Amino acid sequence: MIDIKVDGVSKQYKLGTSGNSPKRWYSGLVSRRSTPMWALRDVSFQVEQGEALGIVGHNGAGKTTMLRILSSITTPTRGEITVRGRLAALVEVGSGFHPELTGRENIDLHGAMLGMRSSEIRRKLDSIIDFAGVDQYIDVPVKRYSSGMYVRLGFSIAAHLDPDILLLDEVLAVGDFAFQNKCLDRIAELRRAGRTIVFISHDLASVYRLCDRALLLHHGRLVAEGPPRQVIDQYQQMTFAADPESAGLAELQSAAQCSSISFLTPGHSAGVRTGHPMVARLGYRIGQALPGVVFRVSLYWPSGYLCAQLTTDSLQGGVHLEPGEGAVEFHCPALPVVPGLYRVDLSIESNGQEIDARQRCATLNVGPGKPVSGDFHIENSWKLAGVSPEVNVRL
Amino acid sequence: MATIFNGLRNLARFSDLLWVLSRFRLKVRYKQSILGWLWAIFQPLALMIIYTIVFTRVTTVATGGIPYPLFVLCALLPWIFFSSSIANAVHGLVLYPNLLTKMYFPREIIPLSYLAAGCADFLMGCLILAAFMIYYRVSPTWNALFAIPIVIVLAGFAAAVALLFSAIHVRFRDIGLALPLLLQVWMFTIPVVYSLQSVPVRFRKLYLLDPVSGLIENFRTVLLRGDRPDAASLAISAGIALAALAIAYAYFKSSEATMADVI
Repeated sequence: MIDIKVDGVSKQYKLGTSGNSPKRWYSGLVSRRSTPMWALRDVSFQVEQGEALGIVGHNGAGKTTMLRILSSITTPTRGEITVRGRLAALVEVGSGFHPELTGRENIDLHGAMLGMRSSEIRRKLDSIIDFAGVDQYIDVPVKRYSSGMYVRLGFSIAAHLDPDILLLDEVLAVGDFAFQNKCLDRIAELRRAGRTIVFISHDLASVYRLCDRALLLHHGRLVAEGPPRQVIDQYQQMTFAADPESAGLAELQSAAQCSSISFLTPGHSAGVRTGHPMVARLGYRIGQALPGVVFRVSLYWPSGYLCAQLTTDSLQGGVHLEPGEGAVEFHCPALPVVPGLYRVDLSIESNGQEIDARQRCATLNVGPGKPVSGDFHIENSWKLAGVSPEVNVRL
Repeated sequence: MATIFNGLRNLARFSDLLWVLSRFRLKVRYKQSILGWLWAIFQPLALMIIYTIVFTRVTTVATGGIPYPLFVLCALLPWIFFSSSIANAVHGLVLYPNLLTKMYFPREIIPLSYLAAGCADFLMGCLILAAFMIYYRVSPTWNALFAIPIVIVLAGFAAAVALLFSAIHVRFRDIGLALPLLLQVWMFTIPVVYSLQSVPVRFRKLYLLDPVSGLIENFRTVLLRGDRPDAASLAISAGIALAALAIAYAYFKSSEATMADVI
C-alpha cells in the first residue's frame, strides 16, 4: 500500500521581496524584479506503508521544502501530493510552544496543534511527561526550561501522537545521548508497528541506521534513489566534486588546503572492507613553502567519539613542503574497524599550528569483510599450543 | 464552495484545538498581571466614564430617557467585542511566524481563537451591564432574549472581518497599520455614543447597511428599551454577515496555502 505519493512536484519561491509584497508593484518600474527560485523541480517518488525513507542532500537542496509540502504547511507550485493516514511532522520540535504557559498547558496546546483530541492527550499525559523526563518541572512555564528540556518535551508529545506517518527533520541532532537513544527506540517501535517514517537529516549515519531506502536531492532535483548505502556514497562523491570550487576563494588566504580524500582497496573497485587492506589518499595544495607539515585523517564513530587517526606525525616533527599540489597515501595492511559509517575530519598542521581543518568533510563507508564481533577486527593467526591429553581430561 | 466545505471539515477535525487555544488566549493575556481578569471590564468602564462626562456635561445626547452611562455602556460592550477581536486576530496571526512555518493546522483557528476570547470578555462585561441595569432600575423584558441571536450575528460578522483582514495582513502589513484608525472612524459611524434617533432620517438607511450599526442599535433596543428588535434591520445584518463570512472564509482558505511562504 502506498502511503505517500509525490507526483511531479515543483516549488517556486520568490526571493528578495516577500511573495507578492507591495514592493513588487513598483519594482517593475525600477527594473529590480524579485528573482524566482525553484526549491524543488519535478520531484516524484512514493513511500510504501511501513517503509522508512531517508532524504539527504546539502543545505538548500530542497529537503525542508519537501517536508513542508508533505506536512501541508505550504502547497507545491506544480504537481500533486497524496498522503494517506494521520501524519505528524516534527520540524524543529517545540516550535509551537508558548513560553508563558507551563509544560502541562503546552502539552495540551501542542498536542491539539498536532491534531490530538483532548481526551487522547489526557489519557497519554503521564506517559508524555515520563518520556520527556520533566516531571518536576511540568508546572513551570516553559520559558524557564533548558533547551534540552524544551526539545525532549516536544519530541515526547509528537512521539505519543501515534501517527500513521511520521516526518522527522533533524530532530536527533538535539538532546543528549541518552535521549537520542530513547528517540531511536521509539522510532524503532513505531517501525515495528508498521508505521511509515520519512527522515530528513544531515546525519548520514542515522539515515543509514534507520532507513530502508534513501533519496538524494540536489538543487531541488531528485538525483538518486535506492538503498541508503548507495545513495550516501553518491552524495559524498557529489559533495567532494563540488568542494574545491567552493573552497576556491579560501585558497588565497590559507597556505595549505586539503583538496580531496578517497578510501580504496588496492586492486579492487569495490569499497573498503573490514580486515582487508585499505589505502587512504589525501590530496593537498600548498600555497607557500611550509616547514614541519603534518597531515591527519581522523575517523569518528557515529556517536561522535574519535575512533582512530591516520597521521604523518612522527618524531622528526613533520616534513618540509614546497608550494604545489600533491597527495599523501596512508597504507593500512588490514582495516580493523567494524562495518559502518565513519565521519572523517582532515587537517594539515605546520610546526604544530593548524593550517587547514575540514570537519566532517567526508564519510568512510566500511563494508562487511572478515567476520568481527565487538568494535575491532584484531589481525591474528592462531594454533593449538601446549595442549597435553591430561589437560583435556581434567577439563 | 468546495473550498469552504473542505475547510470546514478540516476545521471540525481540529475543533479541540480551537477550544484549547481560546482558553489559552485568556490565560496568557492575564498572566503576570496583578489585576488579571479585572482588565476585561476596566476598558469598557473607563470609556463609559469618559463618554458620560463628555456627553452629559460638555454636550448632551438624546437617549430616549435612558441614563447615559447605561446607554453608552450597552453599546460599548458589543463594539469593544467586535473591534478588539478583529485587532487581536489581525496581529495574532503573524505574532508567532513559527506556528505558520513549522506546523500545520487550519490557520483560521488562530483568528477565531481571538474572537472566542473576546467573546468571553464580552460575557464578563455583560455582568457589569446587568449590575448597572439593577442600579438604574431598568428591568429587562422577555425581548432581552433577542440579544442572543443579535450577538451571534455580530460574532459572525466579526469573524468575517477578522478572517479577511488577517489573511491580507500576512501579505500586506498595511492592514495592521491602518486598523487602529479604521476602527476609530468606524466607531463614530455607528450609534455608540449617540442614538440612531439623533441621526437625520435621510442617513438612517445608510446606517442599516453596516451590520454593526444595526446590530448594536438592536442590542440596545431589546435590552434597555425592552422592545422587539427592528426585524428588517436584523434580517439585513444577518444576510450581509453571512455573505461576508462565506466570502472571507473562501478567501482565507485560498490564501492559506502560501501563508507560510510570504509571512
